[in-house]
Amino acid sequence: MITLTMNGTAVRVEKGSTLLEAAQFYGFPIPTLCHMEGLSPYGACRLCVVEIGDGTRSRLVSSCTYPAQEGLIVRTASARVVRTRKMILELLLGSCPQSKTIQDLAAAHDVRQQRFRQEYEDCILCGRCVRVCEEQMMAKAIGFRGRGENRSLGTPFDIKSDVCRLCGACIYVCPACQLRCSYTEPEEAICGGCANLSPPCIQTNKFDDLMCYLNPCAACEIVPR
Amino acid sequence: MPRLRTTSELQGLRRRIRDRVNRRGVGITVCAGTACQASGANDVQRVIKRRLIERNLVDRIALRITGCQGFCEMGPFVVTEPQAAFYPKINTRDVPRIIDAVVSDEYVDDLLYRDPTTGTCCYRLDDVPFFAKQQRTLLGRNQHIDPIRLFDYIVQGGYESLAKVLTEYSPEGIIDEIGRSGLRGRGGAGFPTAKKWEMARRQDGGEKYVVCNADEGDPGAYMDRSILEGNPHSVLEGMAIGGLAIGATEGFVFVRHEYPLAIKHLLIAIRLAREYGLLGENILGTGVDFDVSIVKSAGAFVCGEETALIRSIEGIVGEPRQRPPFPTEKGICGRPTCINNVETWANVPIIIAIGADEFARVGTSTSTGTKVFSVVGKIKNTGLVEVPMGTSIKEIVYDIGGGPLDGGRIKAVQIGGPSGGCIPHWHFDLPIDYDSLTRADAIMGSGGMIVMDDDTCMVDVAKYFMSFLKDESCGKCFTCRKGTQRMWEILDDITEGRGRLEQLGLLEELGRVVADSSMCGLGQSAANPVLSTLHHFRDEYERHIVDRQCDAYVCSGLTGAPCQAACPVGTEAWRYAALIARGEYEEAYRVIREANPFPSVCARVCDHKCEQHCRLAATGQEPLALRALKRFVTDRVDPSVYRPRRDSDANAAGKRVAVVGAGPAGITAAHCLSLKGYRTTIFEAEDRPGGMLVSGIPAFRLPREVLQKEIDALIDENITLRCGSVLGRDFTIDGLFEDGYDAVFLALGAHRSQRMEIEGEDSAGVYPSIEFLKAWNLRGESLAEGKVGVIGGGNSALDAARVALRQPGVSEVTIFYRRTRQEMPAFEEEIEAALEEGVKLKLLVSPMSLHVSDGHLALVEFIRNELGEVDASGRRRPVAKPGSEHRVPLDTLVVAIGEEGVDATTKEAVGVETRGGVVIVDKRTLTTGRPGVFAGGDVATGPNTVIDAIAAGKRAAEVIDRYLRGRELRQAAEFRLPTAYVEPADIEMDEQCQTSRVRIPVLSAAERVHSYAEIESSLIDQDAVGEAKRCLRCDLECTRCLGDDDTRHEPSGGHG
Repeated sequence: MITLTMNGTAVRVEKGSTLLEAAQFYGFPIPTLCHMEGLSPYGACRLCVVEIGDGTRSRLVSSCTYPAQEGLIVRTASARVVRTRKMILELLLGSCPQSKTIQDLAAAHDVRQQRFRQEYEDCILCGRCVRVCEEQMMAKAIGFRGRGENRSLGTPFDIKSDVCRLCGACIYVCPACQLRCSYTEPEEAICGGCANLSPPCIQTNKFDDLMCYLNPCAACEIVPR
Repeated sequence: MPRLRTTSELQGLRRRIRDRVNRRGVGITVCAGTACQASGANDVQRVIKRRLIERNLVDRIALRITGCQGFCEMGPFVVTEPQAAFYPKINTRDVPRIIDAVVSDEYVDDLLYRDPTTGTCCYRLDDVPFFAKQQRTLLGRNQHIDPIRLFDYIVQGGYESLAKVLTEYSPEGIIDEIGRSGLRGRGGAGFPTAKKWEMARRQDGGEKYVVCNADEGDPGAYMDRSILEGNPHSVLEGMAIGGLAIGATEGFVFVRHEYPLAIKHLLIAIRLAREYGLLGENILGTGVDFDVSIVKSAGAFVCGEETALIRSIEGIVGEPRQRPPFPTEKGICGRPTCINNVETWANVPIIIAIGADEFARVGTSTSTGTKVFSVVGKIKNTGLVEVPMGTSIKEIVYDIGGGPLDGGRIKAVQIGGPSGGCIPHWHFDLPIDYDSLTRADAIMGSGGMIVMDDDTCMVDVAKYFMSFLKDESCGKCFTCRKGTQRMWEILDDITEGRGRLEQLGLLEELGRVVADSSMCGLGQSAANPVLSTLHHFRDEYERHIVDRQCDAYVCSGLTGAPCQAACPVGTEAWRYAALIARGEYEEAYRVIREANPFPSVCARVCDHKCEQHCRLAATGQEPLALRALKRFVTDRVDPSVYRPRRDSDANAAGKRVAVVGAGPAGITAAHCLSLKGYRTTIFEAEDRPGGMLVSGIPAFRLPREVLQKEIDALIDENITLRCGSVLGRDFTIDGLFEDGYDAVFLALGAHRSQRMEIEGEDSAGVYPSIEFLKAWNLRGESLAEGKVGVIGGGNSALDAARVALRQPGVSEVTIFYRRTRQEMPAFEEEIEAALEEGVKLKLLVSPMSLHVSDGHLALVEFIRNELGEVDASGRRRPVAKPGSEHRVPLDTLVVAIGEEGVDATTKEAVGVETRGGVVIVDKRTLTTGRPGVFAGGDVATGPNTVIDAIAAGKRAAEVIDRYLRGRELRQAAEFRLPTAYVEPADIEMDEQCQTSRVRIPVLSAAERVHSYAEIESSLIDQDAVGEAKRCLRCDLECTRCLGDDDTRHEPSGGHG
């Protein structure tokens, strides 16, 4: 067992656990997007940052990937952490205003404005789908390509993958596109109180052969013309 | 193959090669690094080879082709031995003479390097300032090594350190030695090398790896490439020693595939080292195995980050992962891996060879040894510079780098590539070591140093780096991917004129978060270029946003054509040039007159900021002669073709404005107010209008009838001119308001010469320049006689000297200036003209005291100056040299060291705040502390140019109009972008295009020296049209993209 200080309290966790697991066990809330139990830690969304260390040498790390170390001082909600999380949520809202998950998180963190040029993207590139496909479905049908702002997600050469079994796990684990904000101007409303059950990602023909695991089922409500 | 089986065999080999090399050491060394190859080193090398064979000298003169030696600006260059003569920028024709000189052990004087400041010949390589001030521990060896020959390296003591550690050191011993040397990682972060090795060594047994990180991706940095190209064995030797220390038997060099020469030399080096038993199994018979292979990087910048680099070597997509675990615990394939930079590895054999203590003696206590920087950008001596840690930036930039390019002023240095920061020139005393740089918001990085001058826009620089980073971020972690993209977007907004002030706060906030929360080093340092420029150059950002002006004229959204953006009154200079090219002179006149009420005056005496920023100059040609073109048009076209637009506004009709001073600022303001319908009265102290135009500028530069005609045309029925009324004597500001004036514009000019404050200044024969010029220009009095001296280097000094030369009884005229000619503020063509006429120039002298006999000036004592440290203005400060005092007999002395606007009596009459002789105003609204009183021109800026005064007059008219209508005075600045599309003139296929700048016809020096006739004359039609056709038409970039639907951009004059 390892003893460390979390938000001023001495906590004991098993060797090998991450800071996120420690915090969750002791009930310190840390928001996450790319983290999912059963998938390998990835550290991409940076929402789970916590402050470690003390004084001038303190720094922010992603708690989902950082291993618990003996004697470590951790703060899960210091001013610096909160400031950073709010900016990350503001950036997320700037890109994906329709995502209910993001809207709710932003509302919960008291983000009241979005100061960037508005974009309307569906994907936050959290990599959950890629990891579930590789680690749980043993398929490796989808992956990332491109760099920087051109990074995107898809099958190799954008052709139908031989190894994809159309299991739908990738859609099931997606944190961003599950639920859509139905307000006509979602970027104007950071309200956190809506529910819309028609994810645009399954409205295209590409997924016609797909069995959807969404609950309640959204695809069934779409009447084909 | 003679595989070396023991360390003594290596020493035997070294002895044998040393004996075989020609003992006299006669040879020619050709630098053939990538930069020199690009400038023609391969041809030089071939010609030397052929010549040596032809002359049968192959046995007597050794030819050595080396890697980069550092002085890339001077490529291709050769060094001859044993003379150590350095011949820069040679071409193939020079080769025979150089070979002759080597044969006869002489120098070819005219090909040798000359010190650009002193002009003296540098006979030896070590005399060249660029080399003399460096400490070239790593790069110095490149000169003696042909990188494809192992023997060259062995002769230089190569692989001796490896032999030493194999026989004498334990792994702990090696690490201890490196630890005592204080070596820190040269890749940028500066992590202690020994600590990293120790961490890797302590891992459990089994496979371990060492890696040389040669994925050098910073724009403008090429030190690693030069070491790999020039001395690949030193890196291999260092890696072998490192492998021995941590217990690794395999090493990788991770090198960019864009470095073909480095890869080639490295492959040859690895093959040779294996053949000689210096790499591979059982090295030198000691039973130790170590081998190196090359991994070519595909070119992603992020793969220079160590965790991404590991994944790339493993063969998967190069994306970083969160540390810990560190590579020294889990690296390539999960095995402990020690990754160091090229330069770090190259330093290792040196430390073992000379000893840790000797190594640590160089540099500072926390940063030891030397560091190689690639100094590039707006600097004279581009190249690789190796200096001890702790050297100041100033020494690198000015002493080694040779200072700014001609006419430039160095503004900042960007250190550390995209992850680094900008150090402004006022921090150039900063010593370069890891800790000082970190404190200054920059990082050492791999050592790229980009020098920037006034023609570099800091916002644009930040945008460039951000554009690089948003493309090169791997995109895995959200803050780096989105943060860099968003920062770029904001910077793009600012450079395109869409910026808002609150975005600066957002930029800072976002930058901090990206730095704080990103996964790897790339993201953590990505905000540095933005944060450091924002910290040091916030005013430049604000100027882009508030004034919509980019002072370097590079931001395309704010600068359609630099000539237009640079003009204080926004004259569309490109447009009249284009119209002249089409032969539409009248339309050209309208374009000029629309912006500027004094076209003929400015065609003669403007300092033509438009020409200074002409892009033709940036393309290596001479700038367009815009002032001459303007003169051509104003001489040819009758001013009546332009009819100014008048607003007859009932509100304006009843209001009266008083303008104090009938100089260019005052008359312009009165004229513009009159067009708006206001009635104005101009009060002028002298007996005729014109201000400095008539009292300061001599008639041979600006004929009086031209000036009078232009002023007469501007004084209309709404304007009353009252000459001979002096503020404070004849009227006061309070009195003006009592007389019913609604607003007052102060445009008094700067008519008081500053005093030198030295002994004897008030004696007869000593005149302030303004008094001297006024006496001549207004009253025709000659004050100068005999030997005349003029103190100062500005335009007023030049005018005084040229006027004095034309006065009766003057035998000679000398200008005394305390700095050098390059630093004289006067226009270059004025200085040139004065020298032609026979004015003498004494530089680097300052007056100490004046000696009077019989109440009249007799002698002036001067002291010589030397150029010292660079001061706040970016110029070298003149420092008096004790003991160099000398006396010069002079009959007349004119003091022209600067002017100020307001003296005590006028200050009282004005009743507004002044500082240093100028009235304090808000630069954008020209308001003084007193409501209704505005000030502009020289009285508010100190001595300035005519065109700036006209611009102040125009602005004053606008502001006073807003004031009298009760509107907000502060308005967003207007864009200075092209407003019309002018179809480019046709150029016939067989037409001979003019390629060089037209020469303006002038009277010869002999004709003009005793005459007051105008010196310059107008261009002839053919020359003017030819010159106008040289214009690059920068405006088309702007008018084209604005599209056809924009009504402002209709073709002009029905010719579209």
